[in-house]
Amino acid sequence: MKSLFKTKPRTPPDVVRQTRDLLLYAQRSSSSDSRESKREEKMSELYKNIRELKTILYGNSESEPVAEACAQLTQEFFRENTLRLLILCLPKLNLEARKDATQIVANLQRQQVHSRLIASDYLEANIDLMDVLIVGYENTDMALHYGAMLRECIRHQSVARYVLGSQHMKKFFDYIQLPNFDIAADAAATFKELLTRHKSTVAEFLSKNYDWFFAEYNSKLLESTNYITRRQAVKLLGDILLDRSNSAVMTRYVSSRENLRILMNLLRESSKSIQIEAFHVFKLFAANQNKPPDIVNILVANKSKLLRLFADFKTDKEDQEFEADKAQVVKEIAALEPRDRP
Amino acid sequence: MASEEEEPKWVQYPLDSNSYKILDKICVHASAVVYKAICVPMDYAVVAIKAINLDQSRTDFDYVRREARTLSLLSHPNILNAYGSFTVDRSHWVVMPFMSAGSLQSIISSSFPDGLSEPCIAIVLKETLLALSYLHNQGLLHRDIKASNILVDSIGSVKLSDFGISASIYESDSIRGWSSSPSSSSLMLTDVAAAPYWMAPEVIHSHHGYSFKADIWSFGITALELVHGRPPLSHLPPSESLLQMITKRFRFSDYEKHKNNKHKNFSKAFKEMVALCLDQDPSKRPSAYQLLKHSFFENCEGSDFLVKNVLQGLPSVEERFKESKITHSDLSSSNTGDDDREDDEGNSVRQKTEERRISVWNFNEDGFELDPVFPSESKDNSVVKRVRFGGEIIIHDQGGESGELSGDVSPSSQVEGGLENQVISGHSESESSRIGGEGQSGGGGVERKGTFLDGLVALRLSLDDQRAKVSQMISMVSGEAVSGEVSREEQMAQLIQKLTAELENERKKSFELELELEMIKFRAEGYDDSGSTADEA
Repeated sequence: MKSLFKTKPRTPPDVVRQTRDLLLYAQRSSSSDSRESKREEKMSELYKNIRELKTILYGNSESEPVAEACAQLTQEFFRENTLRLLILCLPKLNLEARKDATQIVANLQRQQVHSRLIASDYLEANIDLMDVLIVGYENTDMALHYGAMLRECIRHQSVARYVLGSQHMKKFFDYIQLPNFDIAADAAATFKELLTRHKSTVAEFLSKNYDWFFAEYNSKLLESTNYITRRQAVKLLGDILLDRSNSAVMTRYVSSRENLRILMNLLRESSKSIQIEAFHVFKLFAANQNKPPDIVNILVANKSKLLRLFADFKTDKEDQEFEADKAQVVKEIAALEPRDRP
Repeated sequence: MASEEEEPKWVQYPLDSNSYKILDKICVHASAVVYKAICVPMDYAVVAIKAINLDQSRTDFDYVRREARTLSLLSHPNILNAYGSFTVDRSHWVVMPFMSAGSLQSIISSSFPDGLSEPCIAIVLKETLLALSYLHNQGLLHRDIKASNILVDSIGSVKLSDFGISASIYESDSIRGWSSSPSSSSLMLTDVAAAPYWMAPEVIHSHHGYSFKADIWSFGITALELVHGRPPLSHLPPSESLLQMITKRFRFSDYEKHKNNKHKNFSKAFKEMVALCLDQDPSKRPSAYQLLKHSFFENCEGSDFLVKNVLQGLPSVEERFKESKITHSDLSSSNTGDDDREDDEGNSVRQKTEERRISVWNFNEDGFELDPVFPSESKDNSVVKRVRFGGEIIIHDQGGESGELSGDVSPSSQVEGGLENQVISGHSESESSRIGGEGQSGGGGVERKGTFLDGLVALRLSLDDQRAKVSQMISMVSGEAVSGEVSREEQMAQLIQKLTAELENERKKSFELELELEMIKFRAEGYDDSGSTADEA
């Protein structure tokens, strides 16, 4: 084997093609139906090829990546179904090859060929691959690899739109709270990316799916028994609502009595971090110039408690913006008078 | 190649706190506590649990996440993996194998205050290098290599731990940028993260970027730490050491005190290996993989040797922890126990001490220490003056007559031995007059003046840089003071005052230099003009 391939240097497309052949082999064979030694040999050849693809894309300590080689590699990679093969065969690879493969997939998402992101076109035509990646969170061994690939793929707006609209979206509320910290944290990072990266898509998703999404968000995340979940969720909620593109959603959110109740509970938490993040959402309720009467009544009923809370409410480091916001909120609340229901 | 033996698959440890019984505290970090514990459902297996308080600071959380992710994806016999991690109320628990002998730093401070023997050092360094070589091959920098992060278990296996600030070149922001060229992997990082004593020069000046070779520097410092029992410059508190490395200022009295330690005899191969790691130029340092082939590691003993010569008779980690707590409260103000440098006396000593600017730290192979190198007044790099201590002073002027500038201006090069103090004070006193004087004598021609100017401009830039760093330090220290305990607050306040004073000093010096630079520019222009008219004539 050594002498057979060494006759002339292989081009990047050659490496892709050989990788594909070996992946096909890996997919077909299982350790039971072929001779163990032959399988091992093929697999180690596959690992070498995968490593070589990574080296072409990222360079190594001796050389920087060459744009032309990267483009050729990318083109050949997406010309046929190599990405699907790689994703499906991932569980059969060893740890090192899985990591290499993940980095290859990440890099390919950003490669432009003739100033087009051809990965995006490929994924649109093979969008079902996202289903494989998302459900990967349920497999402890694969979760971090598939999760990282998924996060790279949703950089494409069309892919993010698909994932947001898919049935899988509901599953994230559970993935975020998986007992394995590393996997839960990875799912949380993906969830955040989905809800913050592509502004117009997110705004569209949130207004179409407002009811179920925030019902889940409130009950499963903001009222979770898990400290980390509550802390991350209230932070993300602030990021979402404070984004200008989500102003319609924000207006709707701060008009709900139930939402106000949940945020006021978070304000009372003993964790400083949660309190501060909760304040950044709470201030939106107070600043709303068209407060519905029931919101006003809750605020009035809790006026003295709230003012007492804010009186010695400070961030660890001096934060002028926070102080200004706080002064504004205090002013708003102090000025409130009870209103009759219309 | 790094050894690629597959670790046996981890048995899944339970992910709930009720399955574990905490036995003893074995280590306390800034925001984490490490316990010895047993896992009841796993047949009472002994484990270590690192409990990180997540509510303490906002920034911690990213580190915690990164470490969890990094650890789950690493698999190497010389890397301390986690069995699993999960949250318990506001803490994050990482369940790990229990490394019963503890860290090399703890072993040294409890039983080997003068450092380990060479064969033992060779073993632990080699194992550490295997881990480093694997990490670098993965595109990961550890960024915190030091003896306290190298752990040993009862059978003498050595594992690298603590990946909280490790970084992947595949995930650095420069590569992340969607819009930037997709394959531009400069393989460089720019943020400063590690502990000061072990930090490579290019990390301190991080705007130039650094990469894997920064770990190699820290590895070299770690070797010195194992030899001497502590890292170079560690007789200073961390903030000051950082300041020293930043300002490149060096106090003679401290250094000599430290130098008085008697050295054991170490092999040439060892010294040479460390010298390679401590090259100022990162590109000249060998890679971890190349280092493994160095002759120093050739006839390395096995882990049995470590068990016999280091581990036997060692107090347990939990006992050591209790011990260290007692001594720490005794010497709360001095972190290294170097108590003859305490406040009052220390301050007066410091004021009397000559201070001189030095340009780099050179590794002195004979002394097995870092030696300061003072800036030569010439741009010619061959004119590096080396000052050695402990014997008579040797100021080495390799450039000879070609380095006329430095020969001219430095009275010290004529002094031969024994006149250390005179040399030093003479040097610093004459510094400004020399700079001024040079402009007038000017016989060497325009070229020399040009390089001289360049040097000054560079010096001014570096001063600005240092000033920025100092103010950063001050804000850092004052930040600490707020969160620290009341007893420490006073010390911190003093430190801040000191730093503020230093900053003020720095400003003054910088201003003076700027003035001088202006003067010289002015003169140089005059010279140029007269030169060109002469040509025309």
